[in-house]
Amino acid sequence: MNRRNFLRNTGLASATLFVPQFLSGYTNKGFTNNGKNLVVIQWSGGNDGLNTVVPFHNDLYYRNRPNLAIKKSDVLKLNDELGFNPAMSGLKSLYDDGLVSIVNNVGYPNPDRSHFRSMDIWHTASNSNEYWRTGWLGRYLDESCKDCDAHTALEIDDTLVLALKGETRSGFAVSNPIQLKQRTQNKFLEQITHHHEHHHEENVAYLYKTLISTQASANYLFDQSRIYKTKTTYPATGIGADLKKIAGLIIANTDTKIYYVNMGGFDTHAAQKGQQERLLKQYSEAIAIFVEDLKDNEKLDDTLIMTFSEFGRRVKENASRGTDHGTANNVHFIGGKLKKPGIFNEAPNLSNLDHGDLIYSVDFRKIYASVLKNWLDVEPESILNQEFKPLNLV
Amino acid sequence: MRTNQKKIQHLYWRAGFGLDISELETQSKLAIKKAVNELFRKAKTPTLLKGNSERMDMAIFNKLEKSEKKEVRKKGVQSMMELRTLWIKQMMRSDNPLLERMTLFWHGHFACTILFKPYNAESQNNTIRQHALGNFKDMVLAISKDIAMIRFLNNQQNRKNSPNENYARELMELFTIGRGNYIENDVKEAARAFTGWHSNGKDEFFFNKRQHDFDSKTFMGKNGNFDGEDIIDIILEQKQTARFIATKVYRYFVNKKVNEKYVEQLTNVFYNSNYNIETLMRTVFESDWFYDKENIGTKIKSPIDLLVGTMKTLKVDFDSNKSVTFIQKVLGQELFHPPNVAGWEGGKAWIDNATLMIRLNLANYLFQTAAVNITLKPEFEALINRSTIKKIEGSLKTGEIVKTFKKKDNSVIFEEMKDWLIQPNLVLEKESLDDFLFNDNKKNYIESLVMRLMTLPEYQLC
Repeated sequence: MNRRNFLRNTGLASATLFVPQFLSGYTNKGFTNNGKNLVVIQWSGGNDGLNTVVPFHNDLYYRNRPNLAIKKSDVLKLNDELGFNPAMSGLKSLYDDGLVSIVNNVGYPNPDRSHFRSMDIWHTASNSNEYWRTGWLGRYLDESCKDCDAHTALEIDDTLVLALKGETRSGFAVSNPIQLKQRTQNKFLEQITHHHEHHHEENVAYLYKTLISTQASANYLFDQSRIYKTKTTYPATGIGADLKKIAGLIIANTDTKIYYVNMGGFDTHAAQKGQQERLLKQYSEAIAIFVEDLKDNEKLDDTLIMTFSEFGRRVKENASRGTDHGTANNVHFIGGKLKKPGIFNEAPNLSNLDHGDLIYSVDFRKIYASVLKNWLDVEPESILNQEFKPLNLV
Repeated sequence: MRTNQKKIQHLYWRAGFGLDISELETQSKLAIKKAVNELFRKAKTPTLLKGNSERMDMAIFNKLEKSEKKEVRKKGVQSMMELRTLWIKQMMRSDNPLLERMTLFWHGHFACTILFKPYNAESQNNTIRQHALGNFKDMVLAISKDIAMIRFLNNQQNRKNSPNENYARELMELFTIGRGNYIENDVKEAARAFTGWHSNGKDEFFFNKRQHDFDSKTFMGKNGNFDGEDIIDIILEQKQTARFIATKVYRYFVNKKVNEKYVEQLTNVFYNSNYNIETLMRTVFESDWFYDKENIGTKIKSPIDLLVGTMKTLKVDFDSNKSVTFIQKVLGQELFHPPNVAGWEGGKAWIDNATLMIRLNLANYLFQTAAVNITLKPEFEALINRSTIKKIEGSLKTGEIVKTFKKKDNSVIFEEMKDWLIQPNLVLEKESLDDFLFNDNKKNYIESLVMRLMTLPEYQLC
């Protein structure tokens, strides 16, 4: 076959506009948009929390980390005990403006030190001896968003994370609205969706429904992504680019409630310092610009950012100037409407460890419960399948 | 529609990975009964997976420097990628499709993550192959002694004075009887019975007497100095275990929606045969209800079904393991790497907006008519950039398909190819596709039709 001919005729390269009838009225169906946005930032690999929020007043920290500890004089002090890694000056200025809450010692009972399993637990919100198929935000969509659009929860990526997969509803993955539009709107796919109105078999119907909603959301997001072009310069990093896209959508009043982004590279078993500080700097710089952009457009009060990792790392450094997999960790909240900005709870206790690891005091599902109840306005119990008392976070 | 052909295709999709064009010619004329017999006859001798990996001597490994360990792991990850490709190619080419299908089913049932020890992966896979159509008890016992499983579910840490319950719990919850059919104390007692079932320094099974609890245990109402095998026997005495497996078989091979009557029939057959898997599977494939309309073309292909089925159709030869691995990862089914011990959920869970678009474009990617440009999620252990796949590296051969159809009229070609490639009932007029097909010569017509049919959502079902 002549590839060039084929290419020309696949329609994949053509930019035909596709405006079918099902695009009409796709705003806020079925759920009450309280105008609030949640941005979840996932750090994959297990970020070393102790070198992120540094217990600079604790001798045990220095004793356990002769090579890796951050000098007291270098720490960006948050209070008498804790301070940010020096790479995080951007986040520090937000902290000083009362826009950051740090929750220490977050974890869960019987912690698992495998990346896969621990992330699975954070995504599904199961107990560590349970295996659930759906993510906590996916179940939020199942519960409160039965008729809303596919783009109600967006992941800025090419593939979809388990956290956003529900039983009947799921989030929507998009890394580049232009590319997505090209991928979904080719003539052939238009033709087949137009010609297939009635499907009685459940799975066939499900595939068509997913295809049609993908096409609709791809169009919508393409349009939304062109409404607002920020004047602010974002750093040329992965996280910078992702947050820039999110800011554009939030400021354009997009019907998306949840945004999800990934940062990898935190598995610092060796030569941790350079690697971790590079990532923390990228994060902190991008967040600072993002928050400024939202503030300038009066969206900061409607936005809550949550940053987490699947576990923290061992208190004691290893022989390779790195750290191994640990347990409890800190979680960051950033936003204009925090109930208790600053250090939310007690600093990590380095004298009472479990096999060299920190012991959690805040179950991460209490954090989820707070976000669900006090930010997304839903009852957390049926989503988390257990009762967790919300914290006074937002 | 030629009914017998559709039924034969159904059998081969569910008991194998579909039919390529030459198999279609030979098999579609067979009577169902004969085709079933042929599948089981070929499966009598289990085909093995023959990689070239060597056993990792853990005693030596444990003494390596950190950087050397890292190097070994890295090589192991590479070899695992090769092993996955090897298995996938075997599924595609094998003359023993039923055994390959059963192996994949049990691989998902005894879900176990193996990231960098290809020898253990190969050996576990071959253990499954030996028992895939044999006796279920023998298989459970062999899996309980499998090195990769012992390590994955922490039985290595299960010692007399500090039992680890992980294996005992999953054995009951996921591998045999199912939740709600035992009490917490049964888990504790079963764990004691499996104490000392370890792997030695050479990564071989080893009954560590010093770590085994020889004392009396109370399990499911019985008392005795039980060891692991006794526990398995007691679990299998419960008919609920036959029901648990029959249900899983029905949901995988027949329909996600359970028909209580048929499952009960399978349960009885399985239990009365003393857990003979061949008897169970024969009953499935020989039952009239297996060929009922609601079961044909209604299963969402797993990523492996889709990949292997498409490779068979297009005679795809991948030039790199990277492309094969990419498809597994991006569609959510990487062999030897299930999401967790509960395995792959299957069905609608395979589908989200991202996986659906990649699935619909798979033929485009293979014909190289569309760029891929997809970035994978960051690997947990990787410190640098995420990998982006620009194109699928592989070649395909459509010569045989063209040869088979080229003498026929376009309208006949359309109908016959539709019947072969699309398993669900498809209401599609030839005219509605005409604008997207090439009429300049037969080869182009046939190839463009293959590609278009593979882009239909209905192609995702079998």
